[in-house]
Amino acid sequence: MQEAPAERKQVPIKGARLRLGDSPALLGSRCPGCGEHFYPPRYVCLNCYHEGLEEVALSTRGELYSFTIARVALPGTLMTPPYVIAQVRLTEGVQVATVLADIDPEAARIGMPLELVVEKASVDSEGNDVMTFKFRPAKDAS
Amino acid sequence: MGERVVILGVGLHPFGRHPEKSVGELARVAALAALKDAGVEFKDVQAGFCGHVVQGVGTGLRTFGEVGLTGIPITNIELACASSSRAAMLAADAISGGIYDLAMVIGVEKMERGLLSGVGGAEGGYQAKMGIALMPALYALMAQRHMHLYGTKHEHFAQVSVKSHRNGSLNPNAQYQKPLTLEDVLNSRMIADPITLYECSPTTDGASAVILASEKKAKQYTKSPVFMDTWAGGTPQYVRGESDFLEGPNTMLAQRVYEKAAIGPEDVDVVQVHDAFSPGEVFLVEELGFCPHGEGGPFVWEGNTEINGRLPINTDGGLLSRGHPIGATGGAMITELTLQLRGQAAARQVKGAKTALMHNAGIGGVNVIAFKT
Repeated sequence: MQEAPAERKQVPIKGARLRLGDSPALLGSRCPGCGEHFYPPRYVCLNCYHEGLEEVALSTRGELYSFTIARVALPGTLMTPPYVIAQVRLTEGVQVATVLADIDPEAARIGMPLELVVEKASVDSEGNDVMTFKFRPAKDAS
Repeated sequence: MGERVVILGVGLHPFGRHPEKSVGELARVAALAALKDAGVEFKDVQAGFCGHVVQGVGTGLRTFGEVGLTGIPITNIELACASSSRAAMLAADAISGGIYDLAMVIGVEKMERGLLSGVGGAEGGYQAKMGIALMPALYALMAQRHMHLYGTKHEHFAQVSVKSHRNGSLNPNAQYQKPLTLEDVLNSRMIADPITLYECSPTTDGASAVILASEKKAKQYTKSPVFMDTWAGGTPQYVRGESDFLEGPNTMLAQRVYEKAAIGPEDVDVVQVHDAFSPGEVFLVEELGFCPHGEGGPFVWEGNTEINGRLPINTDGGLLSRGHPIGATGGAMITELTLQLRGQAAARQVKGAKTALMHNAGIGGVNVIAFKT
């Protein structure tokens, strides 16, 4: 007996603040006092100590600030070595720790333009698709 | 100015793999060695500070209890890889403030083999699932940035490990006492570019103990004291627009210590830095003011940090070769510098060393300490 393919919901991976849907983006904070941006989101501004920051969708573009190629498998991870661990600097100046997709690890270069990509990571116990994010070389490097 | 603080005694349990030994036994060996070295009886110790990370509730009482139950206050201190140096700083604060005359620090750790991961509260979320919470990767990200900005080469980092292993071969308490060639280091398994296996500190079992006294009290025991002269601890500072992978404001802490100790980097004879991974020493010779920013690679490569060099660093093998039982490491750094300033470092002795600087870092904070004779 086969279940009808019910509407499978997409849920973000635990520990990521990720907006799914038509225009996926990382959700961060913007300080209404001084304009500073943060990822992950926070309540108190580290720059001016304003309390109660606004949730904002962060830019889906950035550049590679630094990277390394992980050559060993960590237990319990979804990644298979070799893969690129990346520190990405978004347009707002926010740094995000992530991994790179769609790239030959040896081709990673500091400064290369990147864009956000959302991928299915796994299926949870309720049958929902667990979605994660990576960054990949920007398609239209402008 | 408070009371001056003297390092009266130091002791180690040899670092290495000791799966058959309990944490208590490791600590007991180090503690008894330090008491003997100081010429102090445990009943005269007024307070105990225990640095450890993953040994569980009440490790302080469990370890100090191995050498006596005298009713003294014992405090557990966790600052990741910098736990026992912070323990020593808190003991020194109390002595300097006139609260105690004689205090003792035990640092201890028993560790599993393999990569340390999930440190820093990754909590099994995105970072753990995506394979980002990899300790060598944190140093690798900084190393790649350094290579990009300054043209630092992998060989420069690897040379740190060659030097450390040579020094470790002169240290009977080191986990690794076998020299390695540059080729050995470069050709060992790549872990996270540019860091190879032999550029990673190992997991280690071991213990360290340090006995601290006020200058007045110390006069009962020694005529040639080594002073823990100045110390400063810190955590990362948020600076707008700056992306900082560092565990703390190394440069600012070093400047504070130099100022309070009335010395400059040029006055330092021997150094301990936190080389959990080989790039650490390259970054720190810059951040502690021993060479200009960007020149750490060539500075190390040219041999300046060798025992017979201009600025000997990690004369006991450092974290890379002496080993890194995280809670015990700070006490081991204090031990080596104390031996150096006493002229008791045997084959590792830096001739005429009178002033020493130490840097110990962990996830959660950094400690910088200056020692003088």
